Amino acid sequence: MAEITLKNLSIEFGGFKAVDEVSLTVKNGEFVVYLGPSGCGKTTTLRCIAGLVRATSGDVLFDGVRVNDLTASERNIAMVFQFVSLYPHLKIKENIVFPLKARGVAKAEIARKLDWVTDVFKLGDELSRYPGALPPGARQKVALARAVIRDPAVLLLDEPLSAIDEQFREEMRWELGHLQRQLGVTTIYVTHDQREAMSLADRIVLMNNGRIVQVSEPDRMFFDPVDVFAGQFIGSPSMNLIDLAPVEGGLRLGDSDVTLTAARDLLPQWALSAGRPLKLGVRAINVHLTDDPSFGVALPVDDIFSVGRERFFSFRIGDTVHQGVDKRSSTAGSEGRVHFDPEGLLFFDAATGRRVGAEVAA
Amino acid sequence: MTNSRTSTVDLATRWLVLALLVVYTLYNVGPIFWLVLSSFKSRMDFFTMPPKLFFTPDLSGYQAVFGVGAAKDSASAVGVFDSLVNSIVVSVAGTSLAVFFGTLAGYVCSRFNFAGKGDFMFFVLSTRMLPPVAVLVFYHLMFARLGLADTRFGLVLVSIFANVGLATWIMKGFFDGVPREVEQIAIVNGYTRMYAFIKLVLPMVKGGIAATAGFCFIFAWNEFAFASILTTTQAKTLPVKISAASGATGIEWTQICAAGVVLIIPVLIFFYLIRKHLLMGMTFGVLGRR
Amino acid sequence: MASTPVTHESRAVAHATRQNALRKRSSGRLMIFGFLSPTLAILLFMVAYPVFSLIYYSFHNFSALRQGTMKPVGFKNYTFLLSDPELWERFVFTGKFVFICVTLQMLIGIFVGYQMQKNFRGRDVIFTILMMPMMLSPVVVGFLWRYMLNSEWGLVNFLLSSVGFAKIDWLGQTTPALWAAAAADTWMWTPFIVLLATAAFRGIPDTIYEAAEVDGASPAYRFFRITLPMSAPVLFIALILRLIDSFKQYDLFVALTGGGPGSSTQTVSFTVAKTAFSYFYTGEASALAVILLVIIIGLSMILVRHLTKMGEKY
Repeated sequence: MAEITLKNLSIEFGGFKAVDEVSLTVKNGEFVVYLGPSGCGKTTTLRCIAGLVRATSGDVLFDGVRVNDLTASERNIAMVFQFVSLYPHLKIKENIVFPLKARGVAKAEIARKLDWVTDVFKLGDELSRYPGALPPGARQKVALARAVIRDPAVLLLDEPLSAIDEQFREEMRWELGHLQRQLGVTTIYVTHDQREAMSLADRIVLMNNGRIVQVSEPDRMFFDPVDVFAGQFIGSPSMNLIDLAPVEGGLRLGDSDVTLTAARDLLPQWALSAGRPLKLGVRAINVHLTDDPSFGVALPVDDIFSVGRERFFSFRIGDTVHQGVDKRSSTAGSEGRVHFDPEGLLFFDAATGRRVGAEVAA
Repeated sequence: MTNSRTSTVDLATRWLVLALLVVYTLYNVGPIFWLVLSSFKSRMDFFTMPPKLFFTPDLSGYQAVFGVGAAKDSASAVGVFDSLVNSIVVSVAGTSLAVFFGTLAGYVCSRFNFAGKGDFMFFVLSTRMLPPVAVLVFYHLMFARLGLADTRFGLVLVSIFANVGLATWIMKGFFDGVPREVEQIAIVNGYTRMYAFIKLVLPMVKGGIAATAGFCFIFAWNEFAFASILTTTQAKTLPVKISAASGATGIEWTQICAAGVVLIIPVLIFFYLIRKHLLMGMTFGVLGRR
Repeated sequence: MASTPVTHESRAVAHATRQNALRKRSSGRLMIFGFLSPTLAILLFMVAYPVFSLIYYSFHNFSALRQGTMKPVGFKNYTFLLSDPELWERFVFTGKFVFICVTLQMLIGIFVGYQMQKNFRGRDVIFTILMMPMMLSPVVVGFLWRYMLNSEWGLVNFLLSSVGFAKIDWLGQTTPALWAAAAADTWMWTPFIVLLATAAFRGIPDTIYEAAEVDGASPAYRFFRITLPMSAPVLFIALILRLIDSFKQYDLFVALTGGGPGSSTQTVSFTVAKTAFSYFYTGEASALAVILLVIIIGLSMILVRHLTKMGEKY
């Protein structure tokens, strides 16, 4: 187990800055997820921690010790890659013990560790087979087994579930989380799937264009995004983003003829007198349908549909379609007024995209 | 991408490896350089001690090869140009067909398991095992009987025969490196196997085809034994024509060197053109199903 | 299926594979037949007559020179050949030649191929240049080396003497001649191994090496436990092909040594040619050719069987 610290880490490839001044500390035993769109630098950062990519400037520290000059073999890390990296010419058993054999561990110790891992991952039947005979999910399990057999200080995972069928992904996700809690190894997990991040992480590190956008626990990431990008990247369906135009007595929603006022919709006072263009972000779960005419606003409701046990509805502001959740009883009709929960209103500076509010610095 | 640094031990090994590579390159390139150099020597300069590096260039070797000037070869009805054409036709046709048939056969042997596949593959390999010298006479007889003697078609057949075995084995190796999923995904989506083969798999083995074509072209182009026996006048290929220029008056060194240089140029051009494709990966099935 | 699938996923995949297999069978058959027949046809056509003739004449007292009288002589040709001590020397010589050549070419070829797999500046050009020896006509190669190894005026002896070594009579004695021929053959054919080895090495994905590095494997460990095993099938093919070709080697010896000194550097192939075309003992030559063929086939069968076993894992 180790604590990992990144200090002003920058990684450049021929003039292109893939990672730009990233600083972060991952605590001992923590499960941290690097999340972000393709090309945001999350994988590059991970590979730098692994030792497969060299930092252009800045430091990587394991328990306070600078490891920049150590090769991947020398750092006590284990890695599970995105596309399966099992040795195809070796049996599963030999694959798993490879790291121990490569480091010259004693035979008795190897046998002991193999038994333990076989037990944890329930691999008994598979040991004598070859990777080619296993489906991708099982293969990643083996890769994971091979990674943990060494008791590494750090476990690094690069989008390990992306090649696995959707139906089995959840099963593996749960097992992975459970395993990490059991072993308590410091884990860094890279993914572009925000649902994965939300369900697995102790903390999420959201990255974009080589920089860290936000570092928070999943809940805070969800309810307290630091800018428009964070707000829209997390959450499914994605956060509704509405332009606000200041008009007499309130803020007009986009191209509609609906105006939110302080009195009725409990708009914060400062938002009305902000003096600069704002955008409103509100998640679907904070937008409801109501039949009570004294609540909500009249916006054209397009459609009401069910996804699983949830009922969603879509409504329009001008030409854009937004979403909300219909929490009325199932007998309710297809008409209603749209009500924005004042607790869930998030305001963003229209120019910079950063979140603004009474408690947030301007 | 990885740019991790190597330790000091690795650095020392690096220098050793570099040294060995330099030695090999000298060994490899030196004689070629010597060949080219010597082809420009006059007969006098050829055997001097110490061997000359600097001398007045003399084109007598090349003249003899091309049958011009003082060394005109009057005995043959086929000029150098014609034999060049013959060589090109036979080599290109032979190579193309050998690669074509070999690719098809290699693909099938890679993807399907059928009764007698192992035997078929071995049979294909065994065709290379015949020493040309042993069967020359019989081919001569066979060709004469079939009216194939002294025809380009006959030589093309020989060329295909000599190379299709190699082509099959090597192409199988490259096809084994293409995951089966590629075709299976296409089939599941409604495409035919043929479509999957032509549009999806073939582009992935372009490198293999290039390498195989390279080998086959070399063999076809330099083929001498069969060509000399099976052709008399019309279908003579360039190697035969050139060897005829070095007559019974002992070893005409300058001519041989010149001939060697002349013969290597088309092959060099061919390899230079396909160089980007040459280094593709080949696994012979090791990676199994991805 | 013998073993029970572990997860839901394995069961689903197994089912899908069975479905697929049924679908594959019909369209596959046509393709197999169509794709194999041209190759099979040509090979049968070109192989049948010569091979049968070869075997037929090996049992006859046939001479291409003499017309008419040709008597079947049973195994007399074979016994005559196999009881000739000189011929056994030819076999030994050929065997030594093949062993040296194949070993050197494989070792050097794998080494150079391994270095060629990484991208570096000018690699394409260097690679093309390295291929050049292979592109020459074998006869030219033979003469070139004969020129270079000339004891009086040869380049090699010149270089040796200028650094203080004694000149060596390369082609005048059997043992140096063997090494001279091996040097020439290796020079010519190592690029073949290099090309195949490079292709094999480049077929190994980078992630496997990265995984190995993370697992703590040293470069040497990686080479012997990953690179070599994974490229074994291709390297084996290269080995088999080179083995077959060096057994057949003829052109090189014609140009390099002419079989000399005396007849000590005649390979078996060379002897076949001489017997057939100089002495015109066609029947005998055929028998010898058959013996050579049997040896080549035998060795290849052993190696191919091993190769198939290697491939069965996957």
